[in-house]
Amino acid sequence: MNLTSKPLAAIIFVILFGGIMFTTATGWWKTESTKQPATFTEGEFAGVANPADIRGSYTFGDIEKAFDIPSSILVQAFVIETSDPAAFAVKSLEEIYAASEFEIGTASVRLFVAFYKGLPMDLTTDMYLPENATILLKERTLTPEQLTYLDAHTVPNPAAASSAPEVATVQVTESAPEVVATPSPAMSEVSIERLVKGKTTFREVLDWGVSQEIIEQIIGAPMPNPLTKVKDFCTEKGLDFEVIKPALQTEVDKVKP
Amino acid sequence: MKIFGKRLFRPRSIWIRRVVQWFFFLLIALISVNHTLVESGGGIPFLSTASLHSLCPFGGVVTIYQYATVGTFVQKIHESAFILMIIGFVLAFLFGPVFCGWVCPLGTVQEWVSKLGKKFFKRKFNHFVPTKLDNILRYLRYVVLAWVVYVTATSGTLIFAEYDPYFALFNFWSSEVAIGGLIILGVTLILSVFVERPWCKYACPYGAVLGITNLFRVFQIRRVESTCKADGACSIMCPMNIPVDAVKTVRDHQCISCLECTSEAICPVAKTVVFNAGGIK
Repeated sequence: MNLTSKPLAAIIFVILFGGIMFTTATGWWKTESTKQPATFTEGEFAGVANPADIRGSYTFGDIEKAFDIPSSILVQAFVIETSDPAAFAVKSLEEIYAASEFEIGTASVRLFVAFYKGLPMDLTTDMYLPENATILLKERTLTPEQLTYLDAHTVPNPAAASSAPEVATVQVTESAPEVVATPSPAMSEVSIERLVKGKTTFREVLDWGVSQEIIEQIIGAPMPNPLTKVKDFCTEKGLDFEVIKPALQTEVDKVKP
Repeated sequence: MKIFGKRLFRPRSIWIRRVVQWFFFLLIALISVNHTLVESGGGIPFLSTASLHSLCPFGGVVTIYQYATVGTFVQKIHESAFILMIIGFVLAFLFGPVFCGWVCPLGTVQEWVSKLGKKFFKRKFNHFVPTKLDNILRYLRYVVLAWVVYVTATSGTLIFAEYDPYFALFNFWSSEVAIGGLIILGVTLILSVFVERPWCKYACPYGAVLGITNLFRVFQIRRVESTCKADGACSIMCPMNIPVDAVKTVRDHQCISCLECTSEAICPVAKTVVFNAGGIK
């Protein structure tokens, strides 16, 4: 059987787009990660979306859907100038706050969402928020522990955002921020890249110079396949990623790039 | 084709292939632009906003090891890349690397640039590299393939994106593109003035994978010896410099199934070089 160009062109289209349409219909075709955070599995909040699972690839719109916090509030809190708040990607925060001495990024959004919605959050690690976020949160009901944490983890709004929307009701409370981070260009590109995040694999931690022995001490178990994401391993083994992450980061920071 | 100054045969072109190439070039370019627009709050309605990584079938190839050992995809790779890889394999099993010859926008761009080379260098074009060296260099893409698969498997990250000219072509305006990719893209485009599809011939790891299917694809390029006039037109026309007139069946790993050598295009004798399944009677 001979085949000429026109039928071949038609077959290419049919197989290619037919395959895409079929896998779309079956739900297999996905061009991005699922933007639905994991839920609490037990306790008072069982079944509720867990802010600790917010990832850098989420947009403020994704968070609005999952946690019912308007994107407009999020851009106000993090002092973002954008015409489309819902499209703003959480991972972009690191660029905006690159000059800040303290990291404002995905963990900051997790903290803000947890406090805003009154959801549990592990506060044993340091997560920072800009002033606007803290002011917004203090308008809500917070526990004394949360208020103390906020006071110790607030940094100035980014300098470039001077024309950003002001928080509507500015209530300067007695508890002024104790930690006032001076924006500094000290955070180099290298240190940004060597951050333990949700998508970091054991291979990357090894490549950053942390030995397998130290990793196994931290996770308290034999290291799995190096291509496994640390976060996935923690979830599977019932470990708290928010505890493992800073421990690994400390070891990464000890090793000079 | 001219013999003693007289045109005996007017070579035809596989025009439908050009249409298909244009279509996929524009589609990928628009999706890539849309991806950037969406990240900055804009976007073109009714058009996919997928990242280029999620629409690259080679992404599926490099993630096979991690998927088999850990059950997850390499960072930035999603199910769509895996599905496109399977579709690419189905097409290649049936027709050979039609993805390279008909779909791949980087191949298309190289062909466009090569038109300049054809104008400048005439018959010398695509014959600059000495045959012996060329024959060795053709296997370089398998070295690239082995390296890409190895570094991706051991690192779990998409390291090839740092050097990928295809990614650079459709992301040169974004901060995601790496300087290595831009340099390789630039070198590829410059070389395209002298050689037809230099990236495909010497370096493309995905072409290397698909090229293997030429050994057993269902539809093969076949030459009917009894009617062949042995004018060598098919070999001269072949963008991949395959000596079609010297074989009965083209099983060369470099064939991209463009059909430019067939009787539908350059071959002046009907039903002599054909794209055929089941053999010639």
